[in-house]
Amino acid sequence: MRKTLSIAVTSVGLLLAVSPVWAHHAFAAEYDGKKQVHLEGVVTQMEWINPHTWIHIDVTAPDGTVTSWMIEGGSPNILLRRGFNKGSLEKGQKITVDGFMAKDGSNRANGSNITYPDGKKLFLGSSGTGAPVDPGPGK
Amino acid sequence: MKQRVLTSLMVIAAGLVSALLATMPIIGQSAAPKAKKSTYTPPKLPWGDPDLQGLWPGTDLIEVPLQRDLKAGERAEVTQEEFAERQAKAERTAANDRVTHVAKDSKVGINPPGYWLEHGIPQKITSLVVDPPNGRIPELTDLAKQKAAQAKQAKQGHGPNETWEDQSLYDRCITRGVMGSILPVIYNNGTQIVQGPGYVAIRYEMIHETKIIPLDGKPHPTSNIKSYMGDARGHFEGNTLVIETTNFLGDKNGIGLNGGGTPHSADMVLTEKWTRTAPDRIEYTATINDPKTWVRPWTVRMPLRLNPEFPLYEYACHEGNYAMFNMLKGARADEAAAEAAKAGKK
Repeated sequence: MRKTLSIAVTSVGLLLAVSPVWAHHAFAAEYDGKKQVHLEGVVTQMEWINPHTWIHIDVTAPDGTVTSWMIEGGSPNILLRRGFNKGSLEKGQKITVDGFMAKDGSNRANGSNITYPDGKKLFLGSSGTGAPVDPGPGK
Repeated sequence: MKQRVLTSLMVIAAGLVSALLATMPIIGQSAAPKAKKSTYTPPKLPWGDPDLQGLWPGTDLIEVPLQRDLKAGERAEVTQEEFAERQAKAERTAANDRVTHVAKDSKVGINPPGYWLEHGIPQKITSLVVDPPNGRIPELTDLAKQKAAQAKQAKQGHGPNETWEDQSLYDRCITRGVMGSILPVIYNNGTQIVQGPGYVAIRYEMIHETKIIPLDGKPHPTSNIKSYMGDARGHFEGNTLVIETTNFLGDKNGIGLNGGGTPHSADMVLTEKWTRTAPDRIEYTATINDPKTWVRPWTVRMPLRLNPEFPLYEYACHEGNYAMFNMLKGARADEAAAEAAKAGKK
């Protein structure tokens, strides 16, 4: 297995049925559903690119070895509409990522849950479209 | 005793009435697929054209299916019960959005998390397709069925990610096609109308298409000139903008979400109509007439709401970006694993 670091790669087998959300492309083609990762790292860069953003983090192992990872995030436009902007994720910010590793074994993962160290969600949601003044469902 | 029997009968009767109401279209809402004729007169632009300008995202309609559920038959609107379900679902989604912390025992799925998505507003309409009256895309012609069978045959023994060309034009950030650009999807549903003397431009957010529509009455170019989005020509009929689009590249994009579904032919004629029905409402219909692909024309209707807080953001995108690389590498990894498993068995 890749360096121990603070990474736990576990075989989780088939996951419980999840909502059939299709993003811009199928995640099942990119990531291995049997290789769940838990990463605790420091942001080095956020790429605001389409179709999906990418967050670059450095993960430091107990022995001091640093490994760089790339985490696939949401579409830039919807993150903007949810109030997230290019200044929201500072370089050096500690984050935790739970997701799945790239099928080819490279240091890339999807970010199913991306949180601050205290478990607070990085990209907080809002009702409706996510626009700050959106009236929300039913209005 | 008599009183008790009477009370029971009244309870049963009330139950029957509410059950009946639950299966009926909502009172006061027209069950006819055609929209009510608007009496609203939009303001005029300095050069005399009706003012349709603004941001008209399709987000509100995300949860409305393109095709109607078969069991709804010709019912254009949901029952009270179904509407209550839609409202309850929207409330659950909103509640989920309000959760600030990830639960320690939460399961991680491979699909993108909820914060990636835009959410609609519960709607009464049962489908975006309003004609045929059953809200379903018509049957394919024999020619289209034959083409679909041939395409399926050609895919035999060919993996889903052998080359970048196996990805859809949407995945490759090239185009979502003429209807895929406007039909509401999970995110980036911005649509904007901009007008100038003699022209209307319609901007679509995701994959950055802009349809420029001359209003000068000149004909379409020769049929040798074709494109994914076709050639659009428009005119006003009263306060309605009517756009006819022809000159398509055939057998590329479908008329489904993001350009999916059965590809239309090069001969398709698309007739779109935009009518402002209130200061903050616009009615959009699109009639797809492609006798080579569908046995009859069909129409999509979308009632859209002006949302000045939904600006179109830039959407530069190149061939799926890192995702293309990841999908192709992922497929190679799958192949290597399959080979290794085969070798291990020998």
